This record gives sequence, C-alpha cells and structure tokens, in this order.
Amino acid sequence: MTTNANEQTGNYTKTLLAGLWKENPVFRLLLGMCPTLAVTAAVQPALTMGLCVIFVLICSNIMVSLMRNMLKPHLRILMFTLTISTFVTIADLLLKAFVPAMSEKLGPYVPLIIVNCIIICRAEACASKNPVLMSIIDALGMGVGFTVTLCVLAGVRELIGTGKIFNIQVMPGSYVPWAALTMPVGAFLTLGFLLGLVNLISKKHS
Amino acid sequence: MRSIKHFFEQSWLLIIASFFFGLLIAVTNAALAPRIAWNATAKLNALAAGLLPEAEKFAPLDQTIDITAPGGKPQALQLYQGKTGGQPAGWIFIAVGSGFADKIELVVAVDAKFEKLAGFDVLSSNETPGFGDQIKYNYFRDQFKGAPAGALTLINAGEPATIDEKIVSISGATVSSTAVVRTISHYLTQVKEQMQQKGLIQP
Repeated sequence: MTTNANEQTGNYTKTLLAGLWKENPVFRLLLGMCPTLAVTAAVQPALTMGLCVIFVLICSNIMVSLMRNMLKPHLRILMFTLTISTFVTIADLLLKAFVPAMSEKLGPYVPLIIVNCIIICRAEACASKNPVLMSIIDALGMGVGFTVTLCVLAGVRELIGTGKIFNIQVMPGSYVPWAALTMPVGAFLTLGFLLGLVNLISKKHS
Repeated sequence: MRSIKHFFEQSWLLIIASFFFGLLIAVTNAALAPRIAWNATAKLNALAAGLLPEAEKFAPLDQTIDITAPGGKPQALQLYQGKTGGQPAGWIFIAVGSGFADKIELVVAVDAKFEKLAGFDVLSSNETPGFGDQIKYNYFRDQFKGAPAGALTLINAGEPATIDEKIVSISGATVSSTAVVRTISHYLTQVKEQMQQKGLIQP
C-alpha cells in the first residue's frame, strides 16, 4: 500500500518536473512558438501570457479529463478545441476587465492561445488518458515550464535591448542598449541562442 | 428516425458541452461587461483629453448625427463637445472602419469651427504588431494634426511634415494606413455636412 502511494507521488513529481526541463514545451518540444517569439520583448507581457496559458491549460485539462470516457474518437479534436476556446475567451475577458493596458499590449495573441499546440497536445497526450489530478499536475508543470521559458527569453531581450527589467533600470547609465533585441529579429536570435545553450547543457549531462 | 438516433448518439456530448460552455461565457461576459465598458469610457476620456488638451470637460451632444457607416448601414453618431470655460474648444467622435484583420475604432478630434483636425488616436485595433499597429505611432498620427477637416487622400511618397489633405502611408502597412484615411475622411465629410444642416457650425 505504502509502495503504491510512494510510486504515485513519484509519478506526480515526475510529471510536474517534466514540463520544466525534460519535456519543456519550448526548448524540448518546440511548441507554442508564436507567443514565444511575439510577446517576449519585455518580461511583463511574457509573464501575463504565461499566466493565461497556465489558466487555460489547467481548466481545459480538467474538462477533458472529466469527459475522457465519453469522448468519441472522431470528435475528440472538436471537443478539445471547443473546451480550449471557451477558457481562452474567459481569459481574454478577464484581462480586458482587470488589466486593460496589458490586454491591449498582447492584442490578438491572447485569442491565438486557442491554436497554441501546447494546450491541444496536453489534452490529447495526457488529459484524455488520465484522471483529473494527474491532468492538473501535468497542466501545471507544462504551464510553469512555458511561463519560465517565456520569462527567461523576455528577460534576456529586455535587459540587453533596453537595459531594464520590469521597466526598472538595471544596467549602468553608460550601457548602450542593443535595440535590435526588442525587435522581431531579436526574438529569433535569442531563441536560437538559448536553444543552443540548452542543447549544450543536455549533451554534457547525457 | 434511425439517422436522428445515430446523430444524437454520436453528438450528445458535443451538444451538451456547447450549451454548457456557451452559458459559462455568457455568465462571465455579463459579470465583466460593466467593468470592461467602464475601462473603455476611461480610455475614451483619456484619449479625448490628449487630443484636445485645452478642453476642460467633454459633454455628449443632446442630439445624434445621422450618417451612413462605411459598411453602408445607417448610424446615429454620438458627438462630444469639448468646452473651456463654457466656450466650445472642439469636437470628438468615434469613427469605426475595417482594418487589415479586424475593425479599427478611432477617436477623432476636430477644432471648434470644424475646419481643422486636432488629430486622432486609436481606441481599439487588432492590426499586425510591428506593421499595421504603426497607425498608433506619432510619426503617422502627427500628419493629421492641423489637416483640413474634410476628404483626405493617401499618398505613397511625400513629406509627412507638410500638413495638408495628403497623408503619407506607412511603409509595409498600406492596408492599415488606407483604412485610417478612408475612415476619417468618410466620417468627417458626413459629420460636417450634418452639423452644418443642424446649425451646429457655420457653413
């Protein structure tokens, strides 16, 4: 009995941590590239996007997990999309009501969470096959992994591109910002650099 | 009868889920709509104050202006009058047009005699970030400040610093630039004509 409980706890921990490194959605699975490249010019919008994705991932995984035994195989993608779009609409309304400036800054990228591959991938790979608790843990791990990655990418771009983090001056006054990093080209450069770094670290560890 | 039974067997979950999710969105929308509307009003006031800084307050006009919207539908347009010490300082109205991907809502400000534009600002838009959303930037918007309050034309090359009815388009965002110029021109000509007819401004 105790062995089973320990095994279960071990599975939960493994699932939770998988999203942070081993199966990180951005660095490992290369999913959700649209927001990764588009909203990482500064940490604030990146963090907001990450929190929205966590909210949508958790809610949609709960719903899909609850419906998993009733899903018709040929209608499952339709059901996933319907579920995801509902929670994305709610997240969009919440942003418009409570953080209108950020909602405006993120613009069409919040509604575009509907087509974020991470969410539909977790619904298909985990929530449609596992009970609710495991689905929530998976959503949390993947969501936090995505958010941390977005924030790291945005942190590098904002720091080098403007000399600031969260609009607070961090670099010395003599620092000349490399503005290109806040532009679209900077997103590709930083992502490429960080992907290379992650691959290098993984190679060394393996 | 058999096909109906088959239809419900296959899609009952989809039908129930659609109703449930629809209800969930409707409840959330009903709960948040007043706050979203308040945010929109606050933004309109802030933009209006930025476009007509000399105005101390803005009051909606008692009567609406009947115009034809760019889509061809009739529209009762609400005008706001900016006042300084009881004297008219200018006019504000919201113009709506079709942008690259979605509608664009603009706040347009005109001087008290409705002769010159005081400028415009973007109330809401979903134009492509980095391209179409440059309509929000000062280097494009500044061309409208002091331009004649009438039909405007878009040109691809020219001197943006010259203030006249010619507006230089944004490179890489021709659709969005055209949308702004067309929308403002469309509203300005009709609003001006209606206001003259109603005796709100001198012909």
